[in-house]
Amino acid sequence: MRVELLGYLSTERLLEALRMAGVTWVPPEQLLPHISFTFSVEGISRACSHQLIRHRTASFTQQSQRYVKVKRLSENVVIPESIREKALQPYMEFIERTGDLYSRLMELGVPGEDARFVLPNATATNLIVTMNGLALRHFFGLRCCLRAQWEIRELADRMLLKVRSADPNLSHFGPYCYQLGYCPEGRFSCGKLAEMRVRYEKLTEIAGLSLDN
Amino acid sequence: MRLRLLSYTPDIEAIIATALLTTSTPSSPSEIHRRLLGDPERVRALLDRVELHHGSLLEHNKLCWLMEASRDEVLELLIKRHYFYATPLGESMWLLSSNLRTALTYAQRYRDRFSDALMETLRDIVPNLIMSLGRGRR
Repeated sequence: MRVELLGYLSTERLLEALRMAGVTWVPPEQLLPHISFTFSVEGISRACSHQLIRHRTASFTQQSQRYVKVKRLSENVVIPESIREKALQPYMEFIERTGDLYSRLMELGVPGEDARFVLPNATATNLIVTMNGLALRHFFGLRCCLRAQWEIRELADRMLLKVRSADPNLSHFGPYCYQLGYCPEGRFSCGKLAEMRVRYEKLTEIAGLSLDN
Repeated sequence: MRLRLLSYTPDIEAIIATALLTTSTPSSPSEIHRRLLGDPERVRALLDRVELHHGSLLEHNKLCWLMEASRDEVLELLIKRHYFYATPLGESMWLLSSNLRTALTYAQRYRDRFSDALMETLRDIVPNLIMSLGRGRR
């Protein structure tokens, strides 16, 4: 998985433009719908991208499986850690067989738009996603949470790193427990509020990620 | 009503071209973007293929304006196109924002003073796209 910022309009830049126009103060909260971040998200699974696009106020442009053929499926899949540890062989056998079937369908003249029906959720994809400040705050609130599925949580953490680096005014963004000071998950709470606060206080402590990866 | 462009996402046209290629090539968006930033001719050629009715490519950006307008004028604008965001900054002064798709769709659908002012602010930041869409082929 790789995440890059393609472009953004930060609070800092917007505040500077407002100052130049003679507007001296705007409540930071009110700037959120007016700022935006555009990410290149690369090598996530279709299972993950399906969760991502449920954040429907965002904008998405995804690599097409209709126009972009999968050359070697086994080299274009995401392998969950649990499968890598416990069931790598049967998993890869399935991927190889599915890749063969996909290629066979194409050889038989089935168009790409139909051959893709056999591709698994594990298939890797690339996409561009753009969110404004409000959408991002909610996305991080939900998806940096320990209850989120591991792949989209890693994606959210990587996006958060980029956002905080580009716009230090948004350093309060993170899982809802970090934003609010309490966990809104009720009886499903992980009970690790203090641990999460420490984890999200510093960029470098987020899941061992750095700005370079 | 007066409109003044305040700030916007840099290199909007390169991002639109990147989005166009992302759908149809195996290359990663960041690689495509890096290549296109150094190739304005290619960006121009790709923008010629953009169609307004496939507008999602135009959503990867943000444009912010300072707008002088009455509450009634802002209400009318938001009723016509609710994807705009408006924040009051003072007496008859607003911070207005949208992405390029919202702005262009408004300008295409309505012929009014706001539409003219909107297009005037866009000419310098997406000149190739405006030229391409203006050829009357779409």
